Amino acid sequence: MRPDNSIVIRIEGVTLRYGCVEALRDVTIDIKRGEFLGIIGPNGSGKTSLLKCINGILKPLAGTIYLDGRLIENLNPKEIARICASVPAEIPEHLNITVSDFVFLGRYPYIRGIWWEDKQDEEFVKRVLAYLQLCHLKRRKLSEISSGELQRVLLARAMAQNPKVLLVDEPCAHLDLKYKLEVMELLKALSKNGITIIASSHDVNLLSRYCDRIILLNRGKIAAVGKPEDVITERTIKEVYGIEVLIITDKDGIFVIPRRPLPSFSGNGSD
Amino acid sequence: MLKSVIILQKSIISRKIRRLLVICTIGMPILSILFLLSLAIGPVDTSIPETINSLISVLNRGGKAKTLSEVIIYHIRLPRTLCVLAVGVGLSLSGAVMQAIVRNPLVDPYITGVSSGAALGACLAVFTGVTIMGTILYTIPLAAFLGALLAFLLTMSLAEAAGGSDVSYVLAGVVVNTAFSSLMTILIILGEEKLHGILFWLFGSFAYVSWRIVWIIIVPVFALSAVILLYAYELNVVLLGDEQALQLGLAVKQFKKMMIVITSLLTSICVSFNGIIGFLGIIVPHTARMLVGSDHRILLPSTIILGAIILIIADMIARILLKPIELPIGAITSLIGVPFFAYLLAKRGRMYAAGQ
Repeated sequence: MRPDNSIVIRIEGVTLRYGCVEALRDVTIDIKRGEFLGIIGPNGSGKTSLLKCINGILKPLAGTIYLDGRLIENLNPKEIARICASVPAEIPEHLNITVSDFVFLGRYPYIRGIWWEDKQDEEFVKRVLAYLQLCHLKRRKLSEISSGELQRVLLARAMAQNPKVLLVDEPCAHLDLKYKLEVMELLKALSKNGITIIASSHDVNLLSRYCDRIILLNRGKIAAVGKPEDVITERTIKEVYGIEVLIITDKDGIFVIPRRPLPSFSGNGSD
Repeated sequence: MLKSVIILQKSIISRKIRRLLVICTIGMPILSILFLLSLAIGPVDTSIPETINSLISVLNRGGKAKTLSEVIIYHIRLPRTLCVLAVGVGLSLSGAVMQAIVRNPLVDPYITGVSSGAALGACLAVFTGVTIMGTILYTIPLAAFLGALLAFLLTMSLAEAAGGSDVSYVLAGVVVNTAFSSLMTILIILGEEKLHGILFWLFGSFAYVSWRIVWIIIVPVFALSAVILLYAYELNVVLLGDEQALQLGLAVKQFKKMMIVITSLLTSICVSFNGIIGFLGIIVPHTARMLVGSDHRILLPSTIILGAIILIIADMIARILLKPIELPIGAITSLIGVPFFAYLLAKRGRMYAAGQ
């Protein structure tokens, strides 16, 4: 079968289980080239699991995933890494290397010989560093830069993989308001350049403002999918999160303001 | 021409290659001088020019020594020094790799149980008194090597049963180490008299090296070291942690397993003939890391050079400190290593405690 060329990721009936807990249940969705997709949902609803299925870290129990038109089981880890890059939430502690060494590691899936990156790799890394305005930091150690800068460095390593799809788990967890917007603007610009962005976050307001489409997950199932204003409604939030909210819409997006929990709500699963 | 030089200077990669060349051009002469010194000193000292002359004339004659100093240099000191060099390289490199795999700079290459396996094997050899070709000198290394392999296989199967992660290897190694050490204690108590002779082995010594043994050590050590060097880039990727390494396209679990097998084999060879030389596998990679950073493409070659240098120095100290009595080399490396390790632990232990 030859899938539609504009579809980068096709997920069909994916079910994932940890022991006897179902983390994902029959998830089906097509994701287009250059789309900015947000994943929201309560804790334990399967956001991270879905991301890890897409880049082959977790193997689903049932269902199929196509990356760039090819069945994921037929791809080796390096081939997956050339299509899909993850922006990690953080770096391992005490990783004492320079910014440029760190970003260069993103070229690993492309290394042909042994040991050294070639000229093309270096050109690519230079372009990424310039694009993210990191050139002045390239000789600094990772421990010596601010968390806003670090977030851009993490993004740079993922971009060095020259991916078609960028997976971002909690892009703004440790960032202040200004950097949050900066990161989201960057991701938006990348998606306009044809890179598909899939971001999961608890920050419903931020995602709804930038995303083209949003998936609302509830206990491993897609509860709603579509444009932010269609997915995030007082009714769906009430159903999934079990709280009453006030939703305000203005030209910049949707703002969800939590009001009170529903007294009769039975809980929504846990981590 | 000029233009290409400018481009070369700008390139981050060529800067790294240049750094590597600088390290080699500083390290190799030092190593060569120490190598010659090691050939020159001993109960009968020879001067450096005399040593070089004797060495050249012996080598020209294809190993037929004529004068006394030629005999001493070619048949006693040269094999010994080559062996010290190989063991220095092997143990240091194993340490560097193990530390990258477990992502903890305080582990040593004995972590998978090979040292206590080797020790038990050596004790058994002396205890039973089995001889090969009429001497126990060959039984000890063979038994030690088999013991090391057995200990490692036990560690490996236990670790695989426990999930096969790098941490389960470390923990399984602790269990196997303890088991083998207690068995050895029992053996030593049973065979008190006989086992006195094992002490020289337990603390490491190069006093019994001959040409026949040298090849058995050097060839596998350098072959395995070359294999490890091929994977320097992968070891950099491993530093990012399992999940990120996998996301970058490295089949991390298989890779780590392969590296653990290679380093354990390398360590087993190093300890079998010359006994357990402590702390080298921690001191050398650590010092190298402080000097050149943690990019394994530069770190591993530096570790190789530094490991050879330090063990040659330790061996010379062992030979001349209480001349004519020769001290066990393991005691020398431990004497240097213990304060160094204590310092590291106090200064940086807190930092590494959260390393996992």
